[in-house]
Amino acid sequence: MAEDAYIASIAAGAFFLIASVRLIRLHRRTRERPELLLGLFFALSAVYYLGFNAPSLFRFGEWPAQIELVVEWAYVLGVLPYLLFIRLVFRPNAAWASWSVGTCSALLLLSTLMLTAGGTVEYSLADPWFCFQWAGYTAPCLWLAWEAMLYRQNVTKRARIGLCPPIVANRYLLIGLFGIFQVLACLADLSIANEIGNKMTVSLFTDALLGGAEIASVAVLWLAFFPPLFYTRWITRRAVILPTPMDG
Amino acid sequence: MAETLFDIAAERLEEGTEMDRLEARGTLRLALKEAGLDVQNLSIPQLQAVFEKLMPRELEARGVADAAATCKAVMKEIANAASTTELKASNSPDEIFKRLGGS
Repeated sequence: MAEDAYIASIAAGAFFLIASVRLIRLHRRTRERPELLLGLFFALSAVYYLGFNAPSLFRFGEWPAQIELVVEWAYVLGVLPYLLFIRLVFRPNAAWASWSVGTCSALLLLSTLMLTAGGTVEYSLADPWFCFQWAGYTAPCLWLAWEAMLYRQNVTKRARIGLCPPIVANRYLLIGLFGIFQVLACLADLSIANEIGNKMTVSLFTDALLGGAEIASVAVLWLAFFPPLFYTRWITRRAVILPTPMDG
Repeated sequence: MAETLFDIAAERLEEGTEMDRLEARGTLRLALKEAGLDVQNLSIPQLQAVFEKLMPRELEARGVADAAATCKAVMKEIANAASTTELKASNSPDEIFKRLGGS
């Protein structure tokens, strides 16, 4: 995988960088934590995506091992604010959510520590620490998708009586889809680890799955964070808002 | 234990109609469920929307005469009684999602 420049991954990295700048600037204005947490996640993900693909993009072989470790840790550390974001937004008062964040974070940190203890990053399904790490960063994507889709059911009802703008209600769907596409990208990671572990070249299917998931992720995030006017109008036009009986 | 907005609304509904406590609370719960709202985290604008758009129909279905006027009167009382009870909603998921997209 390191030898191929994935245009989709580079595009995703660039978009994550733009989204992170926007979210961190939003945090400086509002002083609220959700935008900061999500901004940090996107910033560190951008470091990973761009850092991982830079050698192929600029054709300079490979990063020194230390840089590879920094890039790997950037992604892992980025998942921690991502987990906190999900808990803060969807389950602020649930004890089980705090435990889940703690367990997932511990799993990620420990597995990454063990994976990188030798000074290099190995991707192999034969290594149980790789599997633990994979579970640690896939679970938050699945959790986000689940929560956003669950909330979407109620928010659609609220939009019907005018309590939530239709474009905001639609954002739950987009964020839920982002979670699903990220899970698909994580599945592609598994496939890559399997192929590399068996000394095979990365298959066309895995390439397409990863590329497709990344492009789809960028598309839904673009609609969620930078909704173009035509999209906002389209969603608003399609929305069904109940009339007020008393007004009639 | 502090009274929630739901308690206050159900109480006023009970007083403003001939429904008993159980019926008033049940009717309000059904309307809130239809509106996709959480009983524990209600705000006055949310209740207002429910009483404007959903409750008149619910009350009519239960034989309450002049349901729209009853809803209006109950809502007025809730707004007076609950002015200090309202929860801070700036970090509700809806508010957060609204900010994230810049709308």
